[in-house]
Amino acid sequence: MPDDAPERESDEPRFTPAKPSGAKRFWRAMTKRPQRNHVAVGVLVAMLGFAAVVQVRGDDEDALANARRDELLQIYDGLTRQGDRLEEEISELRRNRDELISSADSENVALEQAQERLLQTEILAGTAEAEGPGIQLTISDPDRVVRSDIIYGAIQELRSAGAEAIQIEGLGNESAVRVVTSTYFVTLESGRLRVSGVEMVPPYVITAIGDPVNLEEAMHFPQGVVSKVESEGAEATVTQFDELTVDVLHEVSEPEHLRPVPEDE
Amino acid sequence: MIPAIGLLAGVIAGLLLDVSVPLALQPYLPIAIVAALDAVFGGIKAVMEGIFDDKVFVVSFVANVLIAALIVFLGDQLGVGAQLSTAVIVVLGIRIFTNVASIRREVFGA
Repeated sequence: MPDDAPERESDEPRFTPAKPSGAKRFWRAMTKRPQRNHVAVGVLVAMLGFAAVVQVRGDDEDALANARRDELLQIYDGLTRQGDRLEEEISELRRNRDELISSADSENVALEQAQERLLQTEILAGTAEAEGPGIQLTISDPDRVVRSDIIYGAIQELRSAGAEAIQIEGLGNESAVRVVTSTYFVTLESGRLRVSGVEMVPPYVITAIGDPVNLEEAMHFPQGVVSKVESEGAEATVTQFDELTVDVLHEVSEPEHLRPVPEDE
Repeated sequence: MIPAIGLLAGVIAGLLLDVSVPLALQPYLPIAIVAALDAVFGGIKAVMEGIFDDKVFVVSFVANVLIAALIVFLGDQLGVGAQLSTAVIVVLGIRIFTNVASIRREVFGA
């Protein structure tokens, strides 16, 4: 257009539409009538959209499926190491558990032994009732001629014959004393018998738990308890029992002067 | 107009059809998608600058995808597949950013 040339300088704005903005060009391309040679472009872009969507959806399904071989190896190595660590932890915990079980067992054994010792000590100290076979020595002494040394001798004989628990009762006044290591026997001036501070009125009954045959023999040998009692003019009878109960308890008082020597010093 | 309709059709087809990626293509598809995205942003930029040519677009699209897949394939064969695919992603990412920056300048003038 040669005739347009002179107008160009005077009419500058005419050329502004020749250089539209990028957005306007894009919009124009979008709304333009479809061109045949854009079909290939459309097909390619459609493939892109399709592939992108398929890939994104596949990612959701399984992350491992898309991993490369060396990534998989790395993951596998990590899992193996973790498994080894957990295996070690398991065996350590097993060891701990076994130790705890065995220590609990030995604690139980110690507890049982301690309870057994406690029971034995209680019977020795006279703070627990005891039962078993044994004898009863009955001394009927209406004239009160039997003195404390005879009763004490009877207790000693019973002990030497293996009596494990002994009690003495005065049926005349229904008094009873468990015979323990600290028990003492005295005869008062009135002729009465006093056992560990308890006055006793005959007839006396001494109950001893042990082997009945041995205990009875110990009472009957020559110059023994029975003959001594009879020589004093009183009467003594021994009866064997298959089942006896020593049910009088000794009251342990707090030591006043004594204190235990500390161990390991 | 046809490309926009194509994109829409592709996305809808991907959503409707239950297709999983073939095992052989799995390592290459993500790279190919990024390469194609690069070509698409380049095409949009060209449209805005008024120099779009459908033949150039088709060639660059196909070449981008094929070369990216080839590089990754080679990397896999050489035992450096992970590193090479990272390299390809980085390069394509930089190109996409550059193209998007040009588009932004065209649209907002800044």
